[in-house]
Formats: sequence, structure tokens, C-alpha cells
Amino acid sequence: MFKAKVRPEVLKEVVDVVSTTVDETKITATKTGISIKAVDPAHVAMIDLTLSKGGFEEYKADDVALGVDMDKIKEVLRLAKPGDMIYMEHDEERNRLVFKVGNITRKMSLVDTTGMSEPKVPNLNLPVKIVVKTDEIRQGIRASESVSDHIALVANPEGFEMISEGDTDSVNLKLGKDLLEELKCKEETRSLFPLDYFSSIFKTISTASVVTMHMGSDYPVKLEFSIANEKGAVVYLLAPRIESE
Amino acid sequence: MAQSNLSELRAKESEFTAISQDIKGGSSAALCSVCKGSRLLCGKDRCPVVTRYHAHLKASTKFSENMAGSSPPSVFVGRAGYPKVYIGPMVPPIMGDTEIMDMPEMWVGKSIDDILGYRMNLVRGMHAVNVHNVENGGRIVDETRELAMGYGTADMEAVFYRRPSGRMTFDDNTQPFGPSAPLKSFDINSLKIDHRIDKAYSDTDLRAAEAVIGLYGNGTMLSRLQRSFSVGAFGIGKNRKFVPTRWSITAIDDILGKNLLQSTRDAPIITDFEVYETESLDNRWAILMMPCTWRYELIEAWYPRSVWNPYGQGIEIISDWEFYKPRKTYARIGGCYYSARLAVNENLTARNRQAGVVIFREAHAGYIMPVGVWNVRENVRDAVKKVPKKFVTLSVALAYIQTKMDIPMTRWIRTSGILKDMLYQRRIEDFLGGRAEPGLEAQDEDHGSEGQHSLQPI
Repeated sequence: MFKAKVRPEVLKEVVDVVSTTVDETKITATKTGISIKAVDPAHVAMIDLTLSKGGFEEYKADDVALGVDMDKIKEVLRLAKPGDMIYMEHDEERNRLVFKVGNITRKMSLVDTTGMSEPKVPNLNLPVKIVVKTDEIRQGIRASESVSDHIALVANPEGFEMISEGDTDSVNLKLGKDLLEELKCKEETRSLFPLDYFSSIFKTISTASVVTMHMGSDYPVKLEFSIANEKGAVVYLLAPRIESE
Repeated sequence: MAQSNLSELRAKESEFTAISQDIKGGSSAALCSVCKGSRLLCGKDRCPVVTRYHAHLKASTKFSENMAGSSPPSVFVGRAGYPKVYIGPMVPPIMGDTEIMDMPEMWVGKSIDDILGYRMNLVRGMHAVNVHNVENGGRIVDETRELAMGYGTADMEAVFYRRPSGRMTFDDNTQPFGPSAPLKSFDINSLKIDHRIDKAYSDTDLRAAEAVIGLYGNGTMLSRLQRSFSVGAFGIGKNRKFVPTRWSITAIDDILGKNLLQSTRDAPIITDFEVYETESLDNRWAILMMPCTWRYELIEAWYPRSVWNPYGQGIEIISDWEFYKPRKTYARIGGCYYSARLAVNENLTARNRQAGVVIFREAHAGYIMPVGVWNVRENVRDAVKKVPKKFVTLSVALAYIQTKMDIPMTRWIRTSGILKDMLYQRRIEDFLGGRAEPGLEAQDEDHGSEGQHSLQPI
């Protein structure tokens, strides 16, 4: 059983985050809320999203897995006018998700979830922790996009740097300790990441918020940020690129 | 006679030094491999690479104002002056079975001289028309469309305003063809219409892409689809228009390739690294299929003095690629990107498999003139029909490809977006257990692209 009422902007946040990684996904609903774990087709990024019952206006569910197509939910979101609520209910008999928004009822067939196994989340021991304003990072990404396809994240006890090096040009965003919300770093770490992944996930994080980054040298970066007014949380893992050239 | 023209052309190579120095002074030789005569990036009024063939390949004088011949069948829709373009039939002054002249599907293994022989006698009749005027454009428009929808040679008579004259036309996308002349009228004496194409033509509610996909599924040849597409025979009634031949070729490749890609992206992943190869017209091809989700790249290396690197001292390498999602911007290497993408997807669809694909192309100095993107499509099709060499790791597969190619693998890798990603980008599952070398090992994956994957340590 799954029945919920949600504000469109909350559902949109979920869809935006998940869409960075997959087109179709399995939503696991339990009594306490929903969760989504997904790996992108190239196996470079992973999301682990949870949204608690409190993120919904109304929520009622027993354990159920719903296979959904993100594009279809986006279609529903486009129907919502300001102030509208979106009602969702699982039609178990016909395996459909029924949406109601305004005077419209949209019955959506679900994707078969039998082939969708739960991705395993790597257990990483990442020595560095940084908490930083999302806006600062977005500014750095914007500056880097015309320069290179990659971005190096560097942390040392003095601060954090984002470096993007092209054939001729380079961009460097330097944030000293005082500009960071929090910095835990004993020795310098550095990893290189594909900029397009990094950029697309940061586009989904609300600008006013902060993001936590866990790092290690040549290890994935683990981003943590909240959604739906702290009622939901996202852990995003991005695998590094080895600097071999 | 194509033979003699060619040797003459080669002998007079030195005469073009003047042009080449002109070019070198003004712009980079690297421009040619990107432009391929289509965009005039060098700033000249006409492409000097293409122009140099014109001077020497003057067609014979046997063409007259009144011509009878058998059209393969063939039509040409120009792009100059769009939306007001020249359309019309192409016909040789020859009676008999000329079908091969406009059927690139049958040209694999032929020499450049053979292909020139097919094409240089095809006279292009030109009739100015607005591209939107497909319905009430008059008799020439109607007959051109009928000819395009036909199959098997069509005997016809054409009357031109003047004697067809001039030169052959070369283009990166389209097959070369002979002289042209403004068309006064033409009469088709015998024509067999492909009834399946005719049915799609009559259906004015059927979208053009759906018509093309449906007909292709029924086994209609690509060159026929392209001809009908170019004369506006498909699509919702009010949207129908003439499509320049050049664009229609790539449109068909793109529509069909994208359609096949939908099933490729859901199919099980291949188990080994596979290498297919072929060689033709002094082009060497290696097609690498990798056991991973769909991604695709075409890398072209142009040797000095090959078509699109006429003035360079060194090898020009350019490439374009896409990952799991099809690219949204037009590939800068041009129509060949889409031709090869269709060819590899035909192979993957036929065996219900998914793979990542990298195509290596070395165009050596003997590849002296542009013949059209069919060269890419048909040779890749031909290569993937063969039995591949199979390898367990990427590094062994690349080492094998190196034995077939002259350019060092390091340079291919440096140019390649996909290979660099395979070699240097780590995967989430690399961090599940111990740290393995990423990318280099065939991953034991049998899941499709449903978006979620079980991750096993490797």
C-alpha cells in the first residue's frame, strides 16, 4: 500500500536529483518514508536518497517497491499550478501509480522492478570532511566549464581548492579555512573528477544550503546534502578519474 | 576514362602547390578535416580541395540537350539557396541496367575508379522549386517524386535548356555526380513504384520518422528510403517538403540509428572485447566493441595528402563521441558519425546485445577524393559482418588494433573521449572490495540498462 500527498516542489527536488543519474528507478516505500538507491549506466555515480514521512503532507505506506519512469513524473509536475498538491496512490491490482493534480487524474503504468537489484553502497573510509556553501562550489563549476572536462578537488589543513586545467587555460577556486563552514583535514588529499557529473548534481542542490564533502586521495567524493526542508537527505558518490597523462 | 582522368590528376598534383601554400598562409590545415568542404572555414568562396578535381574531371562531350537514358533511378535535391533549391532527376546517357550507379549498398570493394565510372555519367537535371512546394509544383516536381519512389531502372527522356556541361560535383556526404543543366521537361517511359513506399506516401497522417522506421523494418534499402525522404514523400501532409540530398542522408542515418539504439540500450551486454576490421579505398577500419553499457565514438585520422588533410604536414586526428544518452549537438566530424552509428547498431540489434563501441579509421594518402558517407556506413557494416577477434581485456584488444594501425595507440587514446574514460575513470564498484584496476578487465555484467545495477566486486 502506498498513498501520499506531496507538495510539487518537494517531488520536483526528488525527481531532479534522481534524474541526474538514471531515467528509471525503483522507489522503496516503507512506513517511515521512501528511499531510492541508483547507479548511473556508466557506474561512475551513485545516489542514495531518503525522504521521510515528514516530507509529505500526508503519507501512508506498507513495504512496497515502485518502478517509475522519471520523465513521466516530470510530465505530472508540469501540470501542477502554484499552490496545487499532488496526490499519489498505488493501484496494486493493475500495478499503476495514480496521480491527481488539480482536476486531472494521471494513471501511470509502473516499470517492472524484478530486474532492478539493490546496488551495493561501498563502505568508504574518507579522511577529509568539508562543509561548504553550495553557492561557492557552483561558482567554481561555472568558471571551470569552459576550461576543462575535469575538475580536481584538493583539501589540506589550510583550506579547499577546486582546480580545472585545460590545454592553455586554468581555473582555480580557493577557499581558505575561514570561508568554510567546517574543515577536517590532517594531510593534503587530491582527486580528479568528471566535471559534467559534478556539475549536474550541484545544479540540483538548493543554492541557500550547505553541502558536506568527504574526500580521500584517488577515492570517490561523497557529497551529502538535504532536500525538502531537511526532511530528506541525499548521499551522492562520484568515482574519481586517475590522473595518468 | 575515369582511369585516365585520375592519372592525369595525380600527375598534376604539383600544380596545386600554389593553392596549398595560399591556404597554409591563411589558416590552419586542421580546418579541412572538420569542414570537409561543407562550411568553407578557410574563408574562400569555393573549397579548393574539391575544386581541384573539377579542373581535371571535365566530363565528355557526349551529353546533348535531348537525352534518353535509364535512370538508376536517381534524383538530386540541392541545398544552395535553401529554401529555394534545385531538384530534378539524375540520368546517364545510357540505356540498360544502371541501378548500381545509385546504390552505394553495392559499392563495397569497388575502387575509386569504379565509383567515379558509375557517377560521372549521371547528369543532374535542375529545376528551381521552393522546398515547401511538394504538392502543386507542376509536372517536373511530380515526376521527380515518382522517380524517387521507384525501384529498378526507369527509362526516360530529358530535355535541357542547354547542353549539360561542367564538372563533377564532390561532397563529403553525398556521392559524386556528373555535369548538370537546367531542366525543361522530362518523361518517364517505364517506372516500377515500390508499393510499400507508395503506401507511406499516401498516408498523410504518418510521421516521417515512423514511415522511415516502418519501411526499414520491412527491409527497404537505405538508398531508396533516402531518395523518397528527399522528395518529401513522407510525413504529416502539411509538413512535407523537399530535403536536400545531403541532409536527407544524415537524417535517415540518424532516425534509424537512434531508433535501434533504444533496443541496444536495453539489451544484455557482450562478454568479451571484440575487434572487427576491414580495409578499403586506402582506409583502414577497426571497430572495437567493449563489454559495457552503450557509448560510441568515431575517430578519424587523416594522413597528409588524403582528402581532408591535403595541405598538412602531419596527421590530423579528430573524433566525436557520446555516452549512454545520445548526443544532442551535431557531431563536428559530420554525417559519417551517424552513418557508422547506424551500422554498429544494426549489428548489436541483430544479435540482441549491448556494447560500447569505438571506431578507428585511418585514411591514408591513397584516399584522394570524397565519395560520400556511404563509404563509412557500408564499410562498417561490412566489417561487423565478419567474425571478430575476441579479447579478455581492453589492453590486449588495443594492442591487437595497434598491429593493424600505423598511428601509435597513445595518440588514439589522447584523442579519444571514450578510451580515456575506459582507462582512467574509475567505477563505483572498484571501491566495494579491494582496489582493482579499473576499466581494463572485462566486467562480468549481464544486466541491461534499467538504471539500477547490482554491483559485484571484481
